[in-house]
Amino acid sequence: MIRVLTMLAVVAAVTVLLGLGVQTAHAQSNSLTPEQVDRIKSNCTSIKSTLNQLHVSDALLRVNRGQLYELLAAKLMDPFNARLSNNRLDSKATSAVTVSYRNAFDSFRNDYKAYEEKLSTALKIDCVNQPELFYTTIEQARVNRTKVHDDVLKLNRYVDDYRTAVDDFLLNFERVSQ
Amino acid sequence: MADQIILKPDADMTFWDKHRLSLLLIITVLIAVTLTVISMIAYNVSGTAQLDLSRPGLSSVSDKVDKGDKITEYSSFGPVNKDSINEFTKLYDEQAKKAKAVDAFNGDPLNPETLEFDVNANE
Repeated sequence: MIRVLTMLAVVAAVTVLLGLGVQTAHAQSNSLTPEQVDRIKSNCTSIKSTLNQLHVSDALLRVNRGQLYELLAAKLMDPFNARLSNNRLDSKATSAVTVSYRNAFDSFRNDYKAYEEKLSTALKIDCVNQPELFYTTIEQARVNRTKVHDDVLKLNRYVDDYRTAVDDFLLNFERVSQ
Repeated sequence: MADQIILKPDADMTFWDKHRLSLLLIITVLIAVTLTVISMIAYNVSGTAQLDLSRPGLSSVSDKVDKGDKITEYSSFGPVNKDSINEFTKLYDEQAKKAKAVDAFNGDPLNPETLEFDVNANE
């Protein structure tokens, strides 16, 4: 009985120590220098104002870009693929690009959501009293914004790929028609 | 024969007989609160919140949404020939140009240097 209790105590102690170690490592990785903390505190209002402007401009950008990307697929890609299928022509290549494009658009939507939520959280943090948390949240939002940009690049690439697939189709079509 | 209203004496009324109206009100309020909570969760989880420019702080740009930028829909029906494909590529190129015109979300505005709290920024 005593042996079991001792073992349990040892396991508990090790768990607590490991937990503390992880927390300390995490805190150290996110730690700011006293100068940075001072700078965040003193520039708190202007930083928040900049973040607010970014939040507003990015929200508008998201709506306008999203609308454009969505309509490109719904009003051009899908109907063209459907027309090829209706005429019993090979639409595999264009359809495959459309699927990839839609997946990229889903990632864009999800990554923007994650970015916007982090930025909104940062805007709610009191940067005078919680500069470290404020900094960490901005860093996370920064990473998420980079992902959104990557998604935009991916979407642009698929826009080009679709055009190439249509060109290839036209070439084959002309060859077969002759 | 006229219907007769039979009134039960107070002593014969059960708890639910006495509090029927209160119960009805409580259930109504509970249903309304539940539906509101479900709606709010759906609004936030689905990503609709991010598209809602009527939210506080974003209403200033709500009138700047592109409304006149209509895309001509390509018909799913009709023959496939060189002319119909050229018609498509013309429409597509026009929209593709617009889609790629802006390098959206580029740059690094959340960089500590840009936000002016990096100590090395002014060194």
